[in-house]
Amino acid sequence: MLEANYKVPGGKLVKVKLDVSSGKIDKIQILGDFFLHPEETILTIEESLLGCHRDMHSIEEIIEHTMIDSDATLIGATASDFSKTIMMAWEST
Amino acid sequence: MEEFRFIDLETHDAYTNMAIDEAIMLAIKENNAPPTLRLYRWKPSAVSIGTFQGMRDEVDIEFCKTHGIDFIRRITGGGAVYHDYNGEITYSILMPKMHPLARTDIIESYRLLCGGIIKALDYLGIKNAEFKPINDVTVDGVKVSGNAMTRRHGCMLQHGTVLLDLDVKQMFSILKVPQEKISDKMISDVKERVTSIQDILHRPIAIKELKEALTHGFSDALKIELQNSKLSSEETQISVKLAKEKYSTDTWNFSR
Repeated sequence: MLEANYKVPGGKLVKVKLDVSSGKIDKIQILGDFFLHPEETILTIEESLLGCHRDMHSIEEIIEHTMIDSDATLIGATASDFSKTIMMAWEST
Repeated sequence: MEEFRFIDLETHDAYTNMAIDEAIMLAIKENNAPPTLRLYRWKPSAVSIGTFQGMRDEVDIEFCKTHGIDFIRRITGGGAVYHDYNGEITYSILMPKMHPLARTDIIESYRLLCGGIIKALDYLGIKNAEFKPINDVTVDGVKVSGNAMTRRHGCMLQHGTVLLDLDVKQMFSILKVPQEKISDKMISDVKERVTSIQDILHRPIAIKELKEALTHGFSDALKIELQNSKLSSEETQISVKLAKEKYSTDTWNFSR
């Protein structure tokens, strides 16, 4: 299990727990003290990232699209912060 | 003047407290409950974590079990909070999404509703409390109240804690504070980040005094008329069910 914490400047803490298999995301949890409305969107985001390759921009795009599809609002962090933390976890090997 | 049902200071366990919030939301959704303000304490003392947090990441479960402290996941985001029975009062304010006090902009919503806490602190003699986005009330830059909001069931819920007294050592035994959060602010001393009403005023304040300040604070700042009342029997029934089937279960509390 790979893990990284990122404190967003002026925002909240984002924590990512990641399992990678054959260069793709196998399991992922995005945790932290941010706000996301509606809250259930976090599960949709996590699910949408399964099978993703190590590419910060495509990961950020997927998160952003999922947020738009779910009409979701993220407070205290951005899709880019999530993506950045995922990269940090990935690079912690 | 908008009317709110007011459920005056009650004491419940963690599961019941969080279940009551959801039961009221469900009743508001069905048009079976008015906008509501409630004040409550936690017995046994408990730690609540934000809905996106990992229970074991944030809370020393063994310490809590040994010391009889409950732990619970909230339905709201935000961080972990230690609700000491003698050290704080929690409030919840609930209203339909279309209510004039429910702003679309989330930060503006926090700002508006936190006005009630700022007014309460003013009554207690703390004149310089201010709203600090995203979701805190601070005095001289130090946090004295943390708040969290959710919007679901066609309803808006904001709940938050107002610290009366703070046992930093106890808080640190219960919470696992991430180093990143501390180093980011370049402050290693938690007392420079979190304070309490008694620490600010340098005098003992009774729970009753804070309770009355919060009652008048919310009423005046939000220009609402508080009608003393209680939960309906239906809300009570649903809260008992939610406490048993959701909030006291490991499935919910350890879902992350």
